[in-house]
Amino acid sequence: MSTPALELAGLRKSFGRTEIIRGVDLKIAKGERHAVIGPNGAGKSTLFNLITGRFPPTSGTVRLHGHDLTGLAPFEINRMGLSRSFQITNIFPKMTVFENVRCSLLWSHGYRYSFWNMVSRSRDLTEGADRILEQINLTARRDLPAGVLSYAEQRALEIGITIAGGADVIMLDEPTAGMSHSETDYIVDLIRTVTQDKTLVMVEHDMGVVFGLADTISVLVYGEIIASGTPEAVRGDPKVQEAYLGAALEAEH
Amino acid sequence: MTDTTQKDTAIAAGSGITLGRALPWIIVSLFLLVLPWIFGSNSAITIMNQMMITVVFALSYNMLLGQGGMLSFGHAVYMGVGGFMVMHIMNLIEDYSLPVPMPLLPVFGGLFGLGLATIVGSFSTRRAGTVFAMISLGIGELIAACSIIIVAFFGGEEGIKGDRTYGLPVFGVEFLQQKEVYFVIAGWTVLATLLMYLFSRTPVGRMANAVRDNPERAEFLGYSARWVRFYSFCAAGFFAGVAGGLFAINYEILTEQNLNTVQSGVILLIAFLGGVGFFFGPIIGAVVFTLLQSVLSLQSEIWQLYVGALFVATVMFFPGGLAGVLMMHVPAWRLGKLGSLVVPYIKTVIPAMIGILGLAALMELVFHARHAAAGEDEITLFWTTFDGFSVLPWALASIACVGGIWIARATAPGLRAAWHRANTPDRRPAA
Repeated sequence: MSTPALELAGLRKSFGRTEIIRGVDLKIAKGERHAVIGPNGAGKSTLFNLITGRFPPTSGTVRLHGHDLTGLAPFEINRMGLSRSFQITNIFPKMTVFENVRCSLLWSHGYRYSFWNMVSRSRDLTEGADRILEQINLTARRDLPAGVLSYAEQRALEIGITIAGGADVIMLDEPTAGMSHSETDYIVDLIRTVTQDKTLVMVEHDMGVVFGLADTISVLVYGEIIASGTPEAVRGDPKVQEAYLGAALEAEH
Repeated sequence: MTDTTQKDTAIAAGSGITLGRALPWIIVSLFLLVLPWIFGSNSAITIMNQMMITVVFALSYNMLLGQGGMLSFGHAVYMGVGGFMVMHIMNLIEDYSLPVPMPLLPVFGGLFGLGLATIVGSFSTRRAGTVFAMISLGIGELIAACSIIIVAFFGGEEGIKGDRTYGLPVFGVEFLQQKEVYFVIAGWTVLATLLMYLFSRTPVGRMANAVRDNPERAEFLGYSARWVRFYSFCAAGFFAGVAGGLFAINYEILTEQNLNTVQSGVILLIAFLGGVGFFFGPIIGAVVFTLLQSVLSLQSEIWQLYVGALFVATVMFFPGGLAGVLMMHVPAWRLGKLGSLVVPYIKTVIPAMIGILGLAALMELVFHARHAAAGEDEITLFWTTFDGFSVLPWALASIACVGGIWIARATAPGLRAAWHRANTPDRRPAA
């Protein structure tokens, strides 16, 4: 068996005395589409932030293609082939849509901190950015400031930025949050096409999206993974039903 | 992942320098070449030299504020230190008759500014926002304090002086005259502006924008926000040092005033006045501010009040600065409707100007009434001299102020409607 794309071992995170992530072990194989679901406050976004280096874990390790990520900054993790989107739209609002995508291509095209290349002179960058704009269906918006796009378009742009660098592990944090049905369908199709042959890890609330996209599902409740497996297996798991039912009952009180 | 083979072929096929892109630079260069023949007086040359030095300084400041999102309260330090260094080199040239041509000196100013920026930037660029601003303020105060303590380098309160004419003559020119210095400064201004513009088009220049907009996102694109800031900071330090070198050559004296926090505040004001959102904004700011400073200060003792009011008005009503106001008209111009705005503008802007001038006249009269020496009743305002205590000027100024502003208010809705029309495309008749 080959090394998993992403491997979490004994991952824990406390904020003060509150333990948010309480020992997560998870293996995600190459090419897998993995969804992390769970009730509000289960620690899904925290888990994402631990994996991508936004917060340091209290204990435990994260391995990307077998390499330990402990102590690495987000930009170093990104350079190793992991890219993420955010729950709250996180783009460059004052720059044009095209510029947003072009910036996300720079590092992977080997430009680093160069101040002797003119970006507009690289046809490779321009074409690459235009190709991604076409993929995310924003060619018509190319020269607008990203901040004026509609919400769904900004989410699409963020997915574009996330995949542009060519990372092979893509992490999406609630990509369809706050969207209408038609917008959700559009984003789901988009995610499906742009993450072909890549490892996808996503946090999602919309069960339609989860069951439509994911090969495997993990259920996170109070910082622990209580079930992990195929959609059918997870759906039938009594622990999952209890957790979701419990959360629903709590919400009613 | 990195696709190197594809990259090599594509870069080779990149577009070259086209005439369209070079044209603005050629026009500006030619304009600067003929300018001394249009405004040939010594005072005009002095103002233009000051203007160009401020342009370089303001553009370097905007590499931080506008391009990189770093609000610095101590940028004058890099200009000042570069200037002091050039002054010392000038004195070395004089003392040891070194064969160094004077026009090369700003390079040393730049390198020294770069050196200092490298040291300070190594810790100040870790964070943007308040932390960066506070560190810049602290460093600014620190160096300003050093300028009085380290007399050997900064010359204490008198500053240090030099003589630019001891350098190696360039084609027989020894730079005795202001006009000769003008061309050195003009050459450096065009070169520095071009380099700063090109910097903004490089990967690190583009990422500076990205880090300004959203440092966290930039980190998840493989770039360390801190290093991107650091490179911008170093480049800004270099060009500030160049500006300092030009200052040293032009004025042949540098004092503590060239690097203190007042000077740092002025450059922030200039950049904001011109507009930090556009590359050319600070150029406009520098030109307008220098004009105000040199022309208005001759006319009025309370000119700083007007500059302050202008600054506040800019920040409140035109956050894009003067460049933003200009660029606001681009959509109407693209629609070919800019002409339709001329008459509404005349109807509103001219009464508004009269109102503002009336208000200014009132302020001058009040200032004169409060501060004039006893028996000195004469006041010169708008090139006319009259008795500042008679009723007529007060009445005229009040009428101009109230009337002008009243008319402007009355015609403002018309201007607003015209503005809306000019920015709405015509509906095409059905084909």
